[in-house]
Amino acid sequence: MILRTTHTTTYKYSDTVAICHTEARLAPRSTREQTLLEHELLIEPQPSSLVSYTDYFGNSVTTLTIDEPHETLRIEAVSLVECHGLEAIHPALTPPWEQVASAVRRYTTDQTFEALQFTYESPRVRPAPGFADYARVSFTASRPLFEAALDLCHRIYTDFKYDREATTVTTPVEEALHSRRGVCQDFAHVMIACMRSLGLPARYVSGYLRTGGGSVGAHASHAWLSVFCPGFGWLDLDPTNDVIPSTRHVRLGWGRDYSDVPPVNGIALGGGTQTITVDVEVKPTRPLDA
Amino acid sequence: MKLEQAAVRDDFASTWRYQPLPNFYDEMLGADGSVRPHWRPLIEALNSIGPAGLGARWQEGRRLLHDNGVTYNVYGDPRSTDRPWPLDPIPLVIDENEWAAIAAAIRQRAALLNAMLADFYGTQRMMRNGIFPPELVFRHPGFLRPCANVPVPRGIYLHNYSADLARSPDGRWWVIADRTQAPSGAGYALENRLVSQRVMPDVFRAMQVHRLADYFQFNRELLRSLVPHHHDNPRVVLLTPGPYNETYFEHALLARYLGYTLVEGADLTVRGKAVFLKTLGGLLPVDLIMRRQDDGFCDPLELRGDSVLGVPGLVQAVRMGNVAVTNALGSGLIESAAPAAFLPTVCQHLLGEELKMPTVATWWCGEEEQLAYVVDNLARLVIKRTFQGPNVQPVFGAKISDPARQKLAAEIRRSPSDFVAQEQVALSTLPVWQDDRLAPRHLVLRVFVAAREDSYEVMPGGLTRMTSSLDSLVASMQHGGGSKDTWVLSSGPTAQTTLLTAPSISLEVSRATFDLPSRVADNLFWLGRNVERVEATVRISRAILTRLYHESDPASFAGIAAGMRILLALGHLAPRPTKATNGASKEARDAALEREMLAMIYDTDGKSELGATLRQLRRLAWLLRDRFSADAWRSINRFDQKFAAPSRVEALRMGGALNLLDDAIVTLSAFGGFAMESMTRGHGWRFLDIGRRLERALLMVDTVHNGLSVRAIDQNAELQTLLEIADSALTYRSRYLTSMQAGLVLDLLLLDEANPRSVAFQLARLVEHVEELPAREVSSRKSAEWKIVTKMLTALQIVDAAELVRSDESGKWSNLETLLATIGNGLRTLSETIARHYFDHSLASRQMSL
Repeated sequence: MILRTTHTTTYKYSDTVAICHTEARLAPRSTREQTLLEHELLIEPQPSSLVSYTDYFGNSVTTLTIDEPHETLRIEAVSLVECHGLEAIHPALTPPWEQVASAVRRYTTDQTFEALQFTYESPRVRPAPGFADYARVSFTASRPLFEAALDLCHRIYTDFKYDREATTVTTPVEEALHSRRGVCQDFAHVMIACMRSLGLPARYVSGYLRTGGGSVGAHASHAWLSVFCPGFGWLDLDPTNDVIPSTRHVRLGWGRDYSDVPPVNGIALGGGTQTITVDVEVKPTRPLDA
Repeated sequence: MKLEQAAVRDDFASTWRYQPLPNFYDEMLGADGSVRPHWRPLIEALNSIGPAGLGARWQEGRRLLHDNGVTYNVYGDPRSTDRPWPLDPIPLVIDENEWAAIAAAIRQRAALLNAMLADFYGTQRMMRNGIFPPELVFRHPGFLRPCANVPVPRGIYLHNYSADLARSPDGRWWVIADRTQAPSGAGYALENRLVSQRVMPDVFRAMQVHRLADYFQFNRELLRSLVPHHHDNPRVVLLTPGPYNETYFEHALLARYLGYTLVEGADLTVRGKAVFLKTLGGLLPVDLIMRRQDDGFCDPLELRGDSVLGVPGLVQAVRMGNVAVTNALGSGLIESAAPAAFLPTVCQHLLGEELKMPTVATWWCGEEEQLAYVVDNLARLVIKRTFQGPNVQPVFGAKISDPARQKLAAEIRRSPSDFVAQEQVALSTLPVWQDDRLAPRHLVLRVFVAAREDSYEVMPGGLTRMTSSLDSLVASMQHGGGSKDTWVLSSGPTAQTTLLTAPSISLEVSRATFDLPSRVADNLFWLGRNVERVEATVRISRAILTRLYHESDPASFAGIAAGMRILLALGHLAPRPTKATNGASKEARDAALEREMLAMIYDTDGKSELGATLRQLRRLAWLLRDRFSADAWRSINRFDQKFAAPSRVEALRMGGALNLLDDAIVTLSAFGGFAMESMTRGHGWRFLDIGRRLERALLMVDTVHNGLSVRAIDQNAELQTLLEIADSALTYRSRYLTSMQAGLVLDLLLLDEANPRSVAFQLARLVEHVEELPAREVSSRKSAEWKIVTKMLTALQIVDAAELVRSDESGKWSNLETLLATIGNGLRTLSETIARHYFDHSLASRQMSL
């Protein structure tokens, strides 16, 4: 299946912006679940400089500077991604979660060492007492890791209400836990915090969800999480929709939490008040011939 | 020999009454009470100077510090932004051999910490191999992921490094803290040296003390070798968080001393992947940034989005290799105390050597055995937070109550990795000069390292800091301790390096015209305006006070009234209820006036306009201290302190106030003189002078407008006062003898282009200045500023003094009023226009994320 994604971010300012520096993490990553075929950034006005580099987590980042005065900035990312999906794993076959925690704590392999840094708190996922209590209900003694994770994912999906008004990007994750409300980003952060409270690695995934089918989170950028399981690698979970992401999800990149991978992030000089509109479209398509 | 020693000891004990503490190592006296051999020359010299002599010399030292405006800021102290730098006259003396061992150990430590940073930001092999706990890196807010794998020129992360050393009772030195991101103190060490050398030149020479200048020279050479482009004439800037930073004085001092431009984050901008300095002349490329700002604050785009300080895009410019930053961004990671617990192993692993100087015993509670030890021994340990910077106050286990200790133990058990414990070193002591005798104080020695291309250079000396009292074991300027110069003795004669003798050395000469950040131009302009404002107020007040003294002179009242009207119009005096004063006797009126004047001059209620202007002047001078020569700075600093601290007794007397005003005039003239004679004729000087000319013209307009009452019975007294305020009485007398005529006075004060006090003179200078301002757009047309000034000057040139004093039907001098209004409005428009065109640098930046 090939998906064509179009992600448009428009900034409108009440005053002129003299200069802006922007980072875009808008190129889907090639992973075992998907292959990036094509990617293009269309920026208006023309940036005076455009550079790409790979960040600490391996995500491709484009940094751009616009130094002509402007009142509107439009960044459109168009990508073609081939989604393979993954063979379903049997949750019961994954090791007991305590074993995973201990393997990561001992970090004897490169994989566990890489996973280790996703067990610590991060700028948006601060530890708080409530997370471990909430998580323990699913993570009973010796329960297989992915089975417990799926259960936790299901409980978050059931207990939490998707509510655009409840939170903003700066709402602390603890507040989302208490109010049991939020958007996909909060759902992901809450579950990451739960995993980490037990010493288990979990990372934040930024991406898109294919439109249609009644899923929550389409038409905007989406977010979910991955949990690490030795021998299985990183396994995705989407608590907003209570699904294991497969061919309907497109992965842009990952980090410890949202702050490591905002799709667009920048500093503008001037501008007055700003209005941001984001539009995402994900549609199946056929590869372009030749 | 024995006898001689004993003599020195007895002599010393009786003269200086120095009593070291038992159970501590004393730097000067051995356990048997004899002076240590390397201190003997100093003690002999002190003995021959004697307490009285030392007292006298030290007064000179304090005057130097005061005049040089050496200060540091104390956070959270609302009273002032700066405090005088406390320096003690007795240096710490260190023997050459001992120093060699210290220097070798510190060089090794710098290399070690540098190698650790290279590993953490590169392959992370040490963590993968279990040599170093990953948690200490991954959880540390100072581990800046955007800086990982960013190329670092020559592999140098630590261009400057400093360590705090302490000596235990057995005589061993220990490292108690590392400063790795923007170590401060080298500038203060330099300033201490300049003072101690001035106060004891004879002793200093005789003892063959190592000089500090080479250290700065090496530092400068290294920075030059690091720049990616423009090797011949690189533009290096010193990035400061701003004047409210604790060590801003040092930033300004080092910038001036090393010849770098002092900038704040807003002065820099990233364009097309490189960093530029925003100047009046346009954007100029920056090759190297010596930062004194914490790394997290250096780039709001990639590092900390909540910070408005810093330069958006800086990390990308570094990543592209277009600018070098010292110390490398991210080097704050190892400033924490926790890594010290692992240094001996890490040193073996990375350098294949034994660690030469131990760190004070350190336990990181993230490891189980260490946690157990710490909890059992809390009462004798110092507890620090693992992931907080070195400026956070530690908890002294010995100094808290049992319940508090239990609470702390519980807290540590809850999140052990967040805590580090260290042993408390029983700090050694040395004498400080206090109440005409020598008293012991604990000390911590900060030593400085500069990287060279393939090695590290240790400054032969350092900053010795003392605890504020004998009970305290915290040596910190923040907590009121003092400081000392540090003399490292040399066995051979030391070379004279000229760099040291010129603290105000300025390498700006060739670039002064271009490197002026527009923020600095703004400040210079307002400094000029405020200097004039103060001078005018002082002159008017003096005219009034002198007349109050000469009460027998019947003409004096009209002069006083004229002066009062001007002060009132300028906002210096509150409008007075006429009823109350009319009824009172002349004596009561004079007394009330006197009280009011003194309150205004000394700003006793903190509300006077003069007080506010002086505060503003002080703030601007402070912001600009790197722009002035040491002499010019001294003149204005001295001035400011006079008003700031009036003698309580004198404040009650008019005579004191008059002296103060007389002095103030002289000082202001001196400052004007330095500006005229010593500042290069670049844009900096030009904006300062534009500010002065503009304000002087404006004040003259106000003075004439308010001071002259057309129908006054005694107009002569008014004219006399105006001439005096305008410092033009002498000129007038020499021209017209004593005949007072309004037309002639107005000609001299407004129209005469030869009188440096006249409005016309100021406008003529302003025309010259605005012609030289950098063009805003390429065009042969005259600038808006030029048109405004020329229009005003022409208005003055075509008018005749006789027309100005012609009464209209209602008996008013309407021609004069119209002219004054035209000029006043023109000057205000000029000020706004200049601000709009040249000072537009303060656009607020904002986050663009959702």
